This record gives sequence, structure tokens and C-alpha cells, in this order.
Amino acid sequence: MSRPASAWIALAVVLVLAPAVLGVASRTRAALTRRRGAPVLQLYYDLAKLLRRGSVFSDTTTSVFRAAPACVLSAALMAATIVPLDGRGALIRFAGDVVALAYVLALGRFLLVLAALDTGSSFEGMGASREVAVASVVELGLFLSFGTLAVLTKTLSLSGMLGAALAAAWPAGSPAIVMTAVGLFALMLAECARVPVDDPATHLELTMIHEVMILDHSGPDLALILYASALELSIIGAVIVTLLVPRSGMPVGVSLAVLGGGLIVIGAGIGVVEATMARLRLPKIPLYLASASSLALFSLVLVLWSGA
Amino acid sequence: MTHSATQLLLLLVVLTDFAVLGTSRLSACIRWIAFQGALLGVLSLVVGGEISWNAVLLAAGTIVVKAIVLPAFLRWAIREAAIRREVEPLVGYLASVLLGGAALGVAFGVAASMPASVRDALVVPVALVTLMIGMIVLMTRLKAITQVIGYLMLENGVYLFGITLARRVPFLIEAGVLLDVFVGVFIMGIVVFHINREFDSISSANLSELRES
Amino acid sequence: MTPFLIGLGLVVAAAIAPVVLPRGGARSRTFGVLLLAGCGLTAAAGVIVLAGGGSVHQQWRPYLPGGDWVIGIDPLSAVFVIAVAVVGATNGVYGDADVRASAHPERSTEANATYAALVASLLLVVTAQSTLLFLTAWELMAISSFLLVITEHERAEVRRAGWIYVVATHAATLLLFVMFALWSTGAHDWTFASLAAAWGGAPSHRGVILLLGLVAFGLKAGYVPLHFWLPPAHSASPAHVSALMSGIVIKTGVYGILRLLTLSGTPPVWFGWTVCMLGAVSAMLGVLWALAQHDMKRLLAYHSVENIGIIMLGIGLGALGGAYGHPALAILGYGAAVLHTVNHALFKSLLFMAAGAVYRRTHTRNIEELGGLARRMPWTFVMFLIGAVAIIGVPPLNGFVSEWLIYVGIFETARTVGDLRLLICAAPVLALVGGLALACFAKVVGIVFLGTPRSACAAESSEVGSSYLMPQAVLAFACVAIGLLPALLATSIARLGAFVAGDPAWGSVGAAATIGTLRGPMLFAIVLAAAIAVAMLARFAFGRRRPVRHAPTWGCGYPEPTARMQYTASSFASPLISMFGALSGVHEHRGATLFHSEPRDIVLDAVLARAWARVESAALRLRPIQQGRLQLYLVYLVAAVLSCLLYLIVAR
Repeated sequence: MSRPASAWIALAVVLVLAPAVLGVASRTRAALTRRRGAPVLQLYYDLAKLLRRGSVFSDTTTSVFRAAPACVLSAALMAATIVPLDGRGALIRFAGDVVALAYVLALGRFLLVLAALDTGSSFEGMGASREVAVASVVELGLFLSFGTLAVLTKTLSLSGMLGAALAAAWPAGSPAIVMTAVGLFALMLAECARVPVDDPATHLELTMIHEVMILDHSGPDLALILYASALELSIIGAVIVTLLVPRSGMPVGVSLAVLGGGLIVIGAGIGVVEATMARLRLPKIPLYLASASSLALFSLVLVLWSGA
Repeated sequence: MTHSATQLLLLLVVLTDFAVLGTSRLSACIRWIAFQGALLGVLSLVVGGEISWNAVLLAAGTIVVKAIVLPAFLRWAIREAAIRREVEPLVGYLASVLLGGAALGVAFGVAASMPASVRDALVVPVALVTLMIGMIVLMTRLKAITQVIGYLMLENGVYLFGITLARRVPFLIEAGVLLDVFVGVFIMGIVVFHINREFDSISSANLSELRES
Repeated sequence: MTPFLIGLGLVVAAAIAPVVLPRGGARSRTFGVLLLAGCGLTAAAGVIVLAGGGSVHQQWRPYLPGGDWVIGIDPLSAVFVIAVAVVGATNGVYGDADVRASAHPERSTEANATYAALVASLLLVVTAQSTLLFLTAWELMAISSFLLVITEHERAEVRRAGWIYVVATHAATLLLFVMFALWSTGAHDWTFASLAAAWGGAPSHRGVILLLGLVAFGLKAGYVPLHFWLPPAHSASPAHVSALMSGIVIKTGVYGILRLLTLSGTPPVWFGWTVCMLGAVSAMLGVLWALAQHDMKRLLAYHSVENIGIIMLGIGLGALGGAYGHPALAILGYGAAVLHTVNHALFKSLLFMAAGAVYRRTHTRNIEELGGLARRMPWTFVMFLIGAVAIIGVPPLNGFVSEWLIYVGIFETARTVGDLRLLICAAPVLALVGGLALACFAKVVGIVFLGTPRSACAAESSEVGSSYLMPQAVLAFACVAIGLLPALLATSIARLGAFVAGDPAWGSVGAAATIGTLRGPMLFAIVLAAAIAVAMLARFAFGRRRPVRHAPTWGCGYPEPTARMQYTASSFASPLISMFGALSGVHEHRGATLFHSEPRDIVLDAVLARAWARVESAALRLRPIQQGRLQLYLVYLVAAVLSCLLYLIVAR
């Protein structure tokens, strides 16, 4: 089973670009708030620095804590192999692989939550409990979006939903697809712990969700976890880019350029949201997620109705 | 071209419905209902298909009333009463949005089982959704201003029905529809002010104090 | 057929052995050997049928009323026989060790004997092909499981749980009697084969029969709202009994529904939609109620309700596929439901066994008092972790395969036209259920095994012996094997789905589709497992050259962290519980210096208990009839006879 080279090259592009997307986001946020901000490549320097460091392990932790970061990274990598990053076909594709995408990310989340509870700290327990609450509703919204795409493109595999069938369905189904993309963007902000659900730049543990869950990791483990979350963001970002600009008909070079440019635009979009919106109060987060899911539900209802 | 413009406008109407349903800031609610009124005005122009003086005047009249006059009136009311935010509604904002989602499903389901001549028009389900969400707002909110906004949304839903189910509607019926809205809001405004003067608050929960005992 | 009958006989011998043999080590060894041998033979018979041999059956004519006795193994029975055998054998070995290590080791006689009787009756239930034999086996199963549930009958809550269970299971039996009575009016015989033939000729009764079967088997399977007996019974019984009940006994309800579908041809459309709705509601409410529990076994019981909901969703998918005429959907739906049945039996037994080991060592089932058990009971922790990863349905274990198959069935409806496409809304519900299950098991594993011990009984626990661990290892190995190599089962699943759907000609269509569809997740699971292994090795090699320091957990500078500062189980679940409000059944009580929250079952406490109180008070009004005076009773007798005579005169 040999996949075309474009799939491998696209995977490499996303793997290399993932930390840069977050860098663009923070740079845009700084620019909009009249600051200079860190360089776009800051996360690369941070990762290199962390990989050189040693680790500090808590006395309370068991092997789960030591094993979790590697598993989280492998889960994110496997998720990247399912998404058709080159706009045509993914490295691993089969009917219903959207389910594998969501559930392998869930595996990473499960182990990260266990590692947080392993430390026996109340801060990490708090972060873990908030994280699973948010993630459950995000899964609901994700599957509403995938359901819309499945009904629209009449395919069962993500490579089909984002490939040629999507380009064919674009003219007639554009309102639903655009609404799905907007809903996915809102859900991505929740899943990857950005404003308005969680502020990555805060230092107050009681207000954090994701950051406080990984508080006790250090050195190479922290590097793996940071890179894995950047990769997850880029994967969902690539899905959004492909939804808005179907790339199955473009030549390989153009498609990859659109992918890279689209990821940068998504990063800038995240920065704009972070600069203009305040983080929501925690009791308001279910309402935010319900609104994003309603958008996805609306596009599903629209697609079901117009195909009837 | 007109078909996709109509579709876009109708989708935006539904999005404004949900925006009103989920927000607690009264000025934002008024802004969204004004935007919805403007959308309805443009819609009446686009759907007719022909740009005649009649249609342009009608659209302009709709926009003036629904998007400028009524919202200004409402803003004046909240300034007089000095309130900014809605209190927690009877069912909670999260449950309201979920109810809105359920209303969406029901509306599209009802529209799908209608006779074939109207089945393809997106307007029928959108009108039903606006109607139902207007009723949800009317029933679950506690402040009179938000109930007025819910009533306005209800009327917008009826207006949407009127726009397309009868393509060539005589001006009289259009005026009647607008007058209906105007009278309703006028009466509600009087009621709001009287509530405000007598009890020094616009909480309609106090209305339930009116009993024979 | 012969291996099965010999195996059944060996299991019955295992039931008699503990009573007959003298006390001693030889007795439990004999019991174990007989049980293992019996289960092994029956499982082998099942595997032979499933792997391509045709169905087998045996018919006798006993000198008793009620028609012939027919025992048969067809593909549906074969799967359930294998499940009963594997789970029954492992739990038997575990249970023998557990009861002998408990506070009342002298109970091991009756416990083992009743256990083997239960396994024998289970084997008979899933292979009986005639009505009276089925009902007899059903009753035997009910009675022996009741006796096992009330093993620790000195506790009041165990007796209450036993009563609720007996009421529920006998209600189910009554409804089954009515259903079979209605059905066999048109049949010339009381075997299942003639019932199937009679289906064509009773159109008005069909709906009633299907509804009765759904409710009766539902009382056994335990979907909402018929689940009310499950949590009390599971938390009251010993660990191996809870494991067998959750793993197999409730699955006989599923078997019953599938057998009903097999015998009744194409199901009506309303049936499929009803079953799908019941499944979705059960899954959603089951996992929500599980999230609110503090008692480990009650939590696992509610997860069984959730998984029964998922199985019912698969059955509904298959029924809709049959009703609307989509062979691929029917095969996918039924096959996914049966695969999930087997998977759930495996990992739920594993979880209950590990929970039982924890209870044996710490003497508490309350999660809030445990913690830090991963260092004190490492192997139990590994087993529970494997079970937890399996039940939340993530790759690369077996829960993912069956849930994924159900998703494929749901997404398959997106390709159809008409009403069937509405089923796509089941996918987000299933996703929410999966997310909540992940939250719940993160809570259990994290609070029970990780962190620091919250009480003395947790701090002083120690690891259990190998007779506890070996059965768990067998089940864990099965979970991993099915997860990593699902394509080996593809033909069996396709054959099963086609069998239940009622058209063997679909078998070849379904087989190709299912093998094709199962190869994808197999590849994915293997690559994922390899990636995890490589990543961990790489991290380990990388970390050797870096300095490692040990320090206490960062507590924001607080100098003296205690175990009580850790997050509690109810706090962990509270964001999700508060999102769902009153639906979660959690009652909070706030005093001046006190906060207490307690989960209650909405169906049992709010609905059934209140209805029962009303029935009781109404019945008390009939008390005056019983005065205790002989003359009054004589008057009653004479009055009854007189009214019968009067009726005879008038009716002439």
C-alpha cells in the first residue's frame, strides 16, 4: 500500500510548521495589543531548551506519569496520519476513520489526565476535571460536524470528506460547509485550550484548564506535551483550511503552499481572537460550547433538509 | 444569484435568533434584533424578484421601523429603567440554547412534511424557527424588555411567512402586519413604563402578585 | 453436539462436587478442574460452529408434558456459549479463591455449587431451542443468580437488593410466559422452529409479541428505565458474581432480543426506531449516573447500563437495516452489537475482578477513601488500567473495534435517502457518551490507584495472590488480542450478522464488506501500538543521559501537603454533573459547616419507590378482610360458591 509522496510531504510540512502556528498566534496577539511580543520561532527555541534539560519527578508519581508524554505524542502523530493533509488522501484511510481520529486524541487525553491525577496535587486534579468536562462536549460538536460532512459528501472516510467529493459539493453546500468550518474553529479553540476557553498566557493556576494539568511535567516530557498540543492544533487547523479551500484539484506544490499559508492564517485568526476577546468565566463555557455545537447542528439540519 | 442571496439572508436570520437566545446583555439583544429587522427588509426586496417602487418603499419602511425606530425606542426604555443585564432566565441560558436547537430540528422536520409546493423554500423552516425561538424567549425571560424582544422576534417570524407564501401581497396587508407590530410594541411600552413607575422595577415576576386575595 | 453435552455435564458435576466431596484443598481443585474442563469443551463446540461448521442440534422426547426438548448451537448461540464459557471459567476460579479469603470461608461450598449451577443454566438458556426448556433454564438462572446475590445476607442492603432483583426477574419471566403463550397459539409444536414458522400467520399479535419480548428481555438486559435492579444487585453481591452478572446474565436479555429477531423475520420499522431510542437514552443516562457514583461496584454497574445501551443501538441499527432493506447496514448493526456484547463481557469481568481484589484488601468500596494503590497493588492496577482503557473505547484495545463498527453503521445511513438518514444524529450522542465514560474512568483510576492514600485502609493494602490475577490476565490478554487483531473475527461477525438478519445469502456480501472494513482499524491499532512502544523506548533511551531529580509535588509553595488536599471523586465529576443539573440524580445538602452530596437513582427512588409506597398503602386498606375469625372465612367460602352457582343459572 503506497501512498503518493504528496501525503508524506504534507505530513512533514505540518510536523515542521506546527510550533510556528502558535508563534504566529502569539505574535499577532502582541501586535494587536501594541506590544512587540516573542519571536514567531519562540516555541522552537523553547522545545530545544527543554530537550536539553533533565527531569524532575515527584515522589508520588508512578510509571503512568513517566509514560504519558510519549503516548500523547504518538497519539497526536497517529492522528496526523489519518487527516488528508495534502487535500487528496491520508496515509491511513478506512471507512469511519473520523472515529479513530477523535478516539486516538481521546487516548492521549486520558493518559494526560491520569498523569495529572498521579501527582496527587489538587491543582492538577482541578485542571484534569475541567479538561474532561470541556472535552466531552467538544466531542459532541466534532461529531456533529463530521456527520454533516458525511451526509454532504456521502463518504465514510475523512479522506473522502475532505477530498474530491468536498470540492464537488462546494457550490451547492457552501453555507453549510462555511458554518461547519466556523463551528470547528470555535471547537478547536476549546479543545486546544485557547481564548475564550482557556488563556495560555495566564499564570493564575485557579483559572487554568490545560496548563495547570501539565504543571508537574518538566524537561523532555514537557517538550513532548507542548509539541503534541501544537500538532493537534495544526491538524484541526488543516481540516478547517481544507474545508474552506478544497485542494483535491490543485497541483501538489500549490496545495502545500495553500496548506502552509492557511495554517499561518489560522494562527493569525487565533491571535486576533485572543487579543479581542476576554476569557469566559468558567460557568459560561458550557454555553459557549453549546453555541458552537448549535452552529454545527444547524449545518447538519440544513444538509439533511436540502438533500431530502 | 437571488436564490443564494436569499439563502444567505435567511441563514443569517437564524443565527441572529440564536444570538438573542444566548446573550444576557440587553444592548447586545437590541442590536441583534435590529440587525434581524434590517435583514428582513433586504429580504423583502430580494425575494420579490422585481425592483419596483412599491418593493423599494416597502423595504425601506420595514428597515426604518424594525431596525431603527423600534430598537431606539427599546434603548430609550432601558436607559430610563437603568438596567443592563437580564437576570438568569427560568430555564438557564444553556437550556435555552438547547431548546433552540430542538426547535431547529422540529421546524425543519415540520417543513419537510409540508406539501411539495412549499417544501423547497428555505423560508418556511426559517420562519418556523424564528417563531419558536421568539416564543421561547417570551416564555422564559423575566425582564419585560426581553419579553418585548421575544415578541418582536415572533412577529418577525410571522412576517417571514408573509413574505414568500404570498408573492404579490397587497400593500394593505403589509401595512397591517407592520401596524400589528407597532401596536404591540406600543402597548408593551406603555405596560413597561407603568410597571416601572408603580413598582420601580421591570421584573414581570412582580406581575404575579396581582391576585384576588 | 456431543462435546457440548459432555461439557455441560462436567459443569453440572462441578455444581455437585463441592456438596459431595469432603472439605479440603482437593475439593476446590476438583471444582476448578471440572469447571474449566466443562467450559473448555463447550467453548470448543461453539468455536467449531462459528468457524464454519453448520448448526447442530439434538432433540429428545421426554416423558413429560410440554413437547420435545431441543438443544441446538447455531451461530448466535455459539457466540454466547463461548462468552459464557470464558467468563464463567475465569470468574469461577477467581470466585473460589475470593470466597475462601473472605470473612466467611465456610460459604465456599454453597457459593461454588450455586455458581456452577448458574453457569450450567446459562449454557442451557443460550442453547435451548424449545419453549419450556428455555423457560426452565431461565428460571434456574434467575434462582441461582438470586442465591448468589444474597451470599452476604447478614447485611440489610444485600437483602433489599436481592428482593428488588427477584421482583424484576420474575416480572420478566411472567411477561415471557405471556409472550410465548401468545406466540404458540398458531404453532403446532413448542419448539423454536415451529414458532418461527408460525410467525407468518399471526399478523395482529406481532406487535404485541415484539413489545412483550422487548420489555421482558429488557428487564433482564437492564436498559433505562428497566435497569433499576442492576446497581443494588451488583454492589451487594461478591465480585465474581457481579462480574458474571454484568458480563453474562444481563447479556441473556440481549440474546433473547436477538433470538426474537432471528425467529421473527423482518422487524417492523417502529421496532428499530424504538430500540435505537432506548439504546441512546440508556447509554446517555447510564454513563451520567455512573459519573455521580462513589461506590466502585455501583459505578461499574451503571457502566453496564451504558454499554447495554450501546448494544441496543447496534441492534436497532440492524433492525432498521432489515426494515428498510439495506443488507450492509443490517449485518453491520447486528455484528457490531454481538461483538460489543462479547467485548463488554470480557472487560467488565476484568474490571469487576480487579475491583473485588481492591475490596478484599482494603475492605471498602468507597472511592473517596482509597488512593495510591498503584504502588501497593501494582498488578491489580495494571489489570484495572487495561480494563479501563478497553471500556472507554480508545484504540488499540477491543472497545474501540465494536464502537467503531457501530459508528460505521451510523455513518452508513448518511449514504441512504429518506428517513434513515436521521439516524446520523446518534453519532454525536455516542460521542458524548464516550467522552463521559472517559471522564468517569479517569476519575476511578486516578482517585483509586494514583495519588496518595486517603485513609489507613488504603495505605495498608497489599497485593493479591496469583489465583486472583491469573483469570484477570486471561481476560486482559483477550481484550488486547481482539483489539490488535480484529480482522480475524471478520468472517464470524459477518456470518452472525447475516444469520440474525435472517438471510444467509447476505453472508458473502457482508463478509467482504466487513473484512474490508475491519482491516483498517487493525492496521491502525497495530501501527499505534508500535508507535507508542517506539516512543516510550526512545524517551527512555533519551532520558538516560539526562539528570533526573526527585522532589515533592509542586503545591504552589504550601509546605505541608496532605492526602486530603488531593482532588476528591465528587469534585472531579462536578463540572460535568452540574452541566446536567437535576438529570444526574445528585442530591446536595448544605449545612452551616457541612456539605454532603449523594447520588440517587431517579427511576428507583423517585418513581418506583413512590409508586410502590402508594400500592402498599392501597393494599393496606384491604386489611379488614382478614379478621382472623373462622365464621367470617366460612361466610366468604359460602358466598363464593353461591355466586358461582348464581352465575351458572344466569348464564344459561
